[in-house]
Amino acid sequence: MSEKIISWLSFAITALLLLPACAEVVQVGTTMGHGAGVITSEQKGSIDRTAIKSERAARPITDREEYYLGRAVAATILGQYRLYLNERTTNYLNRLGNALALASDRPFTYGGYHFAVLDSEEVNALACPGGIVFITRGMLKRAANEEELAAILAHEIAHVNHKDGLAAIKQSRWVEVVATLGGGATREFSGGQLDKLATLFEGSVNDVAKTLIINGYGRKQELVADRSAMIFMHRLGYDPNGLTDYLAKLAGQQETGAGKGLFATHPDMSYRLVKARGFISENNWPRQNHLVRDSRFHRYL
Amino acid sequence: MKRKSWLFSAGLLLIASVAAAASVTVITQQAMLRQDKRFFAPVVTRVPYGESLHVLGSEGDWLRVYYQNRNGWIHTGEVKQQKITLSTLTAQGASGTAQDEVALAGKGFTPEVEEAFRKKNPSMQFNLVDKVESFRVSDKTIRAFLERGNLKEPGGA
Repeated sequence: MSEKIISWLSFAITALLLLPACAEVVQVGTTMGHGAGVITSEQKGSIDRTAIKSERAARPITDREEYYLGRAVAATILGQYRLYLNERTTNYLNRLGNALALASDRPFTYGGYHFAVLDSEEVNALACPGGIVFITRGMLKRAANEEELAAILAHEIAHVNHKDGLAAIKQSRWVEVVATLGGGATREFSGGQLDKLATLFEGSVNDVAKTLIINGYGRKQELVADRSAMIFMHRLGYDPNGLTDYLAKLAGQQETGAGKGLFATHPDMSYRLVKARGFISENNWPRQNHLVRDSRFHRYL
Repeated sequence: MKRKSWLFSAGLLLIASVAAAASVTVITQQAMLRQDKRFFAPVVTRVPYGESLHVLGSEGDWLRVYYQNRNGWIHTGEVKQQKITLSTLTAQGASGTAQDEVALAGKGFTPEVEEAFRKKNPSMQFNLVDKVESFRVSDKTIRAFLERGNLKEPGGA
């Protein structure tokens, strides 16, 4: 291998190592390399183009973008369900939910976690990207104590942690967003760019809302969220059996409630129950006495 | 030629690692700089989105940082390791903030895009979303909630 090829390869490997960091760094390097005569202008151009292309393809959705998507998903949900404004219930939910969020693997999001009740008898809970979590009155009514309510909220927080809502966005939309943005650092959008982004934004919001309200997440996402929920509960000192108690109740009601809300989007309640019980048993988490919290729950709800 | 090339490569890696390790950028709307490495430790100051913080050290999930003549602790979940841009490498960044970087990172779905979406969908209930986002709980309230429920305090290094 000639010396020139070795030089070229060593430079290319370094540039490739830096790709995930930033295309601009690669450009600094290629400019330096070109100036020093290590690479030709053609080679410089090739590395720069690869770096920009790679950065665009790899660009993840930021927490701030997730926040704006989540707001629009929440607005879509609030177009279909009425918000239940009861200060006492809302305060209780937000204290419990925010405590659990701090014990989660993602204690902070761009706009924080917020919990609200939907005025519907349907049994459902919906986590928007970024941290807005809705629970229906029908679901609240079926929770027998604070442990069960904590399990419901922890499960939704887990979906936010895992960015399950964002996973519903068609990959092609995100590729198009990145392509629309281009590589420049200017902060202003052109009119056409803004229209295109608004259309892609709308499509992405619909993808997420459709998954939350109609299709539901996949079995694996639900099982992972259950597992995380039990871990978050345990970290705060809640009894993770709250999840299995609630799942057992829902599994028993699945027949009668088939086709609506959670029963339509979460078809495998019995399977989730088996898996959750197995996880508790693996961790040797004993049943707890939680009279203090039970009494608080009944004071608030 | 070969030696020159390796030197450039090594130099680049050095620049990248040193610059990346030194600062972090706030990625939440408003982050809290705290006196200690605990969720409910007293707040030294609030730091808005996009501000750059100089990292002095770390312990567990917490970073000890320097910001506007003050030292404090910030949770790693509120910041992102600052990527290197031409402006940061050539010290032309604006007043200690990673503004170009933030502009790039936040250039996709932004408030302007939400505004354009709202114009296309005027019946969307964004006023209610704002209402839901106004439901906030103070550190003191969460702490009292945990204590009264015989629960544990989360976090800490």
